[in-house]
Amino acid sequence: MTGIRFDHYDWAGGREAMLRFGPDIGPIVLAALPLFEEANRTRQFACTILRALAGYGIGSVLPDFPGTGESLVATADATLSDKRRAYVALTQVLGVDTYALSIRSGALLEVDATLAGRWHLSPQSGEELVRDLERARVAAGKKEGDYAGNHLSFERLAALREAVPRGGGRCRIIRLDTDPRAADATYPGVPLWRRSEPDNNIQLAQKLAADIAHWIAA
Amino acid sequence: MLVIFEGTSQVETTVRAVLADILGLSADRVAAFTADTPLFGALPELDSMAVASVLTELEDRLGILIEDDEIDGEMLETFGALVTFAAGKALV
Repeated sequence: MTGIRFDHYDWAGGREAMLRFGPDIGPIVLAALPLFEEANRTRQFACTILRALAGYGIGSVLPDFPGTGESLVATADATLSDKRRAYVALTQVLGVDTYALSIRSGALLEVDATLAGRWHLSPQSGEELVRDLERARVAAGKKEGDYAGNHLSFERLAALREAVPRGGGRCRIIRLDTDPRAADATYPGVPLWRRSEPDNNIQLAQKLAADIAHWIAA
Repeated sequence: MLVIFEGTSQVETTVRAVLADILGLSADRVAAFTADTPLFGALPELDSMAVASVLTELEDRLGILIEDDEIDGEMLETFGALVTFAAGKALV
C-alpha cells in the first residue's frame, strides 16, 4: 500500500499522469512543484517528503499538470489557467480531505480549488517568478520570450505576473531560516530550487513531512 | 564607523553563505575566500545562470533590490567586489 504507484486523472483538456504514495484512504496531500526550471530542482526533494508522509500513514499524489512532465499538452501551449483547471479537476477526484503541499510558484496553481488546507514552502508570487525568469534570460543572453527553453508570450507573462498565492482559511507558510520574510515556521536548509546542480536534502524533507503530518492532525 | 564595519561583516557572511548554498561549494572552500579571490570566469560553478540565482538569493536574504542594468562583470570579478556591491545596497 505504501509503495509508489502510477495513476492518472482527467481534466477538460485531457488526461495527465500522477504518482501516488502511501494509503488511498484518509487525508491526502496534493503536491505541486514550482513552474519551469525550479520543478526539476525540487522533484526528488518533493518525492522524499511524500515518501516520509507515507510513513505517517498519509497518502499523497504528485501530478503532472498540462504542459509538464509526461503531459501530451505542449509546454508552449499550456496556460496558467489550464493548469489551474486541471488542479481543480484533480481535487474533485481526490475528495474533500485534500491538503495542498505547494512548493514556490506551485502555490499559484491552487487558487481556484477548494481544499482542507494549504501548506506552502517558500511561496513565490507570479511577479517574483517573472523577475527571476527575466534575470536568467538576460544572464544567459537569450532573446526576449525565450526563458531557458520555455517560450512565453507577452500575454502569458502578463497572466503570470498577476498571479499571487492564496492565503486565508487553513494556510501554513514555511520558509528556510535564511529567508527574512514572514512565516509560520522556519527550518535550516539551502534553497534547492536555486541550486546550480540539482540536489536533495533528506533531513529537511523528513522535518517538513513531520511538520505537515502534525499540521494535518491538529 | 563601527556600525558600518559590523554591517559590512554581516553582508560578507551572507555573500559567503549564498555562494556556498547556490553553487554547492564546501564551507571550507568558501571560508578561504578573500577580497581578491576571483569569481566570475574563475569558478566553473558560477555560470551565467548561476549568476542570476546568486543575485536573486542575495536580494531575498538581504532584503535588497538589484536592477538588471546594475549587473556587470566588475561586481562579480572578485569576492571583495561582490561584497562591496551588496553592502552598498544593504547598508543605505
